[in-house]
Amino acid sequence: MNEFLKDRRSLSKAITLIESSLVKDQEKASELIEKIMPNTGDSLRIGISGVPGVGKSTFIESLGMYLINKRHKVAVLAVDPSSPIHGGSILGDKTRMEKLSSQDNAYIRPSPTKGTLGGVGKKTREIILLCEAAGYDIILIETVGVGQSEIEVHSMSDFFLMLMLPGAGDELQGIKKGILEIVDAIAVNKAEDDNQTQAKVACQHYQNALHILEHKPHWTPPVLSCSALKSIGIEDIWNKIKEFEKITKDNGEFKNKRLKNNQFWFEQIVNHKMITDIKSLPEWENLRTDVLSGIITPQLASLKLFDALYSKKGKK
Amino acid sequence: MSNLEEWKKLAAKESKSDTPIEKLSKDTLENIKIKPLYTQEDLKNLDYLDNLPGIDPFIRGPRATMYTGRPWTIRQYAGFSTAEESNAFYKKTLAGGGQGVSVAFDLATHRGYDSDHPRVTGDVGKAGVAIDSVEDTKVLFDQIPLDKVSVSMTMNGAVLPILANYIVAAEEQGVPSEKLRGTIQNDILKEFMVRNTYIYPPKPSMKIIADIFEYTSKKMPLFNSISISGYHMQEAGADAALELAYTIADGKEYIETAIGAGLKIDDFAPRLSFFFGIGMNFYMEIAKLRAARLLWSEVVSKYNPSNIKSKMLRTHCQTSGWSLTEQDPYNNIIRTTVEAMAAVFGGTQSLHTNSFDEAIALPTEFSAKIARNTQLILQEESGITNTVDPWGGSYFMESLTNEIANKAREIMSEVDENGGMASAIEKGLPKLRIEKAAALKQAKIDSGAEVIVGVNKYINDKEDPVDVLEIDNEKVRTHQVQQLEKIKSQRNNAEVEKALKALEKSAETMEGNTLELAVNAARVRCTVGEITQALEKSWGRYQATSQTVSGVYGKNLEKNETWMGVMEQVKTFEKNQGRRPRMLVAKMGQDGHDRGAKVIASAFADAGFDIDLAPLFSTPEEVAKQAIENDVHVIGVSSQAAGHKTLIPLLLSELKKLNAEDIIVVIGGVIPKQDYQFLLDSGVKDIFGPGTPIQESTDRVIKHILQANKE
Repeated sequence: MNEFLKDRRSLSKAITLIESSLVKDQEKASELIEKIMPNTGDSLRIGISGVPGVGKSTFIESLGMYLINKRHKVAVLAVDPSSPIHGGSILGDKTRMEKLSSQDNAYIRPSPTKGTLGGVGKKTREIILLCEAAGYDIILIETVGVGQSEIEVHSMSDFFLMLMLPGAGDELQGIKKGILEIVDAIAVNKAEDDNQTQAKVACQHYQNALHILEHKPHWTPPVLSCSALKSIGIEDIWNKIKEFEKITKDNGEFKNKRLKNNQFWFEQIVNHKMITDIKSLPEWENLRTDVLSGIITPQLASLKLFDALYSKKGKK
Repeated sequence: MSNLEEWKKLAAKESKSDTPIEKLSKDTLENIKIKPLYTQEDLKNLDYLDNLPGIDPFIRGPRATMYTGRPWTIRQYAGFSTAEESNAFYKKTLAGGGQGVSVAFDLATHRGYDSDHPRVTGDVGKAGVAIDSVEDTKVLFDQIPLDKVSVSMTMNGAVLPILANYIVAAEEQGVPSEKLRGTIQNDILKEFMVRNTYIYPPKPSMKIIADIFEYTSKKMPLFNSISISGYHMQEAGADAALELAYTIADGKEYIETAIGAGLKIDDFAPRLSFFFGIGMNFYMEIAKLRAARLLWSEVVSKYNPSNIKSKMLRTHCQTSGWSLTEQDPYNNIIRTTVEAMAAVFGGTQSLHTNSFDEAIALPTEFSAKIARNTQLILQEESGITNTVDPWGGSYFMESLTNEIANKAREIMSEVDENGGMASAIEKGLPKLRIEKAAALKQAKIDSGAEVIVGVNKYINDKEDPVDVLEIDNEKVRTHQVQQLEKIKSQRNNAEVEKALKALEKSAETMEGNTLELAVNAARVRCTVGEITQALEKSWGRYQATSQTVSGVYGKNLEKNETWMGVMEQVKTFEKNQGRRPRMLVAKMGQDGHDRGAKVIASAFADAGFDIDLAPLFSTPEEVAKQAIENDVHVIGVSSQAAGHKTLIPLLLSELKKLNAEDIIVVIGGVIPKQDYQFLLDSGVKDIFGPGTPIQESTDRVIKHILQANKE
């Protein structure tokens, strides 16, 4: 564990620093990340996604409690993408993780999003590192399945779990094909009471769907059913995750995936920085106005903008 | 020229407008237009104008002679911390001419916890009497003949152990269950919707209700097995149309449940009773009760009852607690009087009038007496009881009754489209509608569009403190814990074990009558907590999902200077600090009234705060942990049930222990002025009493945060 993050309070403050939009904070944040780097990496990062109403929070409550009982330290990073245009966010994650949120060995941090598309905050990767440095060995990253966000979560996790609802057919259409290609497992949730037959049907459906896709040679994503509400099937899912971890650690895929994730992260930082830099140029607003009033074509405007960017850099 | 044309001319002149009807019409929250004048024209298309009291569909009243023969029952709801004190109070009330007792339970009991449970440290003895076992119940009803005195019990979550205790206490008094008369509230649907004192998930909760219907229909023919309640919806902010529609729709769901369990409509429908809230919207409330009887008769008719009593809606009413103000509290006596009049003009069967100090604390003996006398004066001095339904045939009242019935029918058909009330509640639909209505109402008050005397108009320069009732929660808890230890040492543990196992098995298999098994358990001295836990093993405790509305405040306060100033301050803060101000909105203890917390969350988010919601029923330790994890600037505690003096110091000391004293703590809700200094001395930064306008509380909170971040 890192000395900067010795207690809950300092971890929380560090996350706030990482999330800050102030330039001076961002510099401090980069320094902090560099400092803690040696203490990071020693965790299992699990991404969890699914459509609204599938029971993600309840699932995390159930899985989290199971892991706490197995003496793990669990951090949950919940990102709420439904931030309104005006005003702040209302984050109710802990109301859905009542038991887990009161555990000493659990840390749940919901992050308000602002201006980021997709379900994951810009700083989630850094926050994962902080939690690792603070001694959490399981990181659960929750996001709403609304398209781009699954790709994002997949790109920062070791294992990507997709939750589905019982009842097949309609759901399949709601899930983009690309998503099924990146899942490491599917769990059909709410397999309880009257839903059990439907859950079985759904499992069969997703199995068929996964079957026609191409997968990595070492792992065929399993389809399981569970009831997060009644804590049924949680252990089976965990065993599958452990099995995946073992196989991929043995064959080196685990490490490969993390390096790939790093590459993706690098690309993202660059993309983000480019856009911020460009948008902070005075020419950006001027040229936008000019394009709108039809004085200049978009092509010409973009050339001018990049000229401005590079000449400014040159001057420096 | 017709008379009406002439009137229009005069009205145009007096109102200085060419369109006087439009100009003078008022839109209500229910979206009904109240015209300045109603005439014969308005009665043209109305049905039932020839309806008479006592005759289906009972618009003019369930009984033919109504109050002319016997006035409504004065039923004042009360519970003091211990069974002994409550018993003494009931005996005094009965000696003073009261016809029944109405028991209020403490929050721990409501949620099925024994007084020695660690989660309820701050709740024991608050807001009602603590009952842990049949021994407490026997003390509660000591020397009260249960075959003669009707007992009304406000219990929904822990219905099984409480009803079982009552049955066994009567049995040991020598009164068989066949002779028991009274009412148990037992309305779980509205708990899921607004009040939150549920225990189990919806499905097993509905099974419990079916079991109670079955048991009472066989063994307790004089007992009202449910009191289907709209009151709490109104308290949570529902307008009259929503309250009416959802209450009747709840009733329909209960009928379906009972029929699903194999009962016949006439077995139980005559024992269903209702409970409405009566607020300050005088005409609307009268019309609501008249329309309620019409709608219920329509609903039950579909089940082809042969007993006419199955179709007859009988109701209890209570004046609104929401309309009471902390400011200028004696005004509340007048408000309660106006509301009580609306309830009796509407034809209620029994009535509770609130005490004027209930916006601040639990009633004192003095305030309780004034509340009771309000009803006595209406009954004995005013002559109101001399004729049945004096509003019958009024152009306006008949027309308004019809309009609100139609509004309610619309809402009820939306419920039907969603598969009935249980399924609509599961989808969160009614809750969201009510919360939206609450936010709208609050915004109208804060913007001054709705006047509350002494709060947003004619404000007092100086408020004199009012005497309030103090409860020594620690003393009550110690007493209860001792009683529990005594019972547990004297009972036959093998029998206890057996009775609890039977309950566990019933929960697991969903077979057997849980009330019957609870009666067996109570008889061998299983406690309220034990009976609750036995069922909890299979059913679990229900966890509500929180939904919040947004945008309602922002829209309604756009022109308010303070509000716009707050938005500016928030923006500046974000620019300087790199994030928005962040606040954790928390309720601690077993008090589930979360309207205030929801309204605060919604309004502060509209102002630009990031808001975290803590789970209901949190402990101070849990709240401190959450505040630290989310790294909030401020914790806003909402307190409605007098737990603040125990819970707030615990929260502050926990924050201190965790090295997080810099997190600001503010509190809002029902807090007596007498407690302000104590709270401020403990380290609370600010206190927001009832009626504090939202723009003012947002302004004060952002200023506290700015101040703290400057230091």
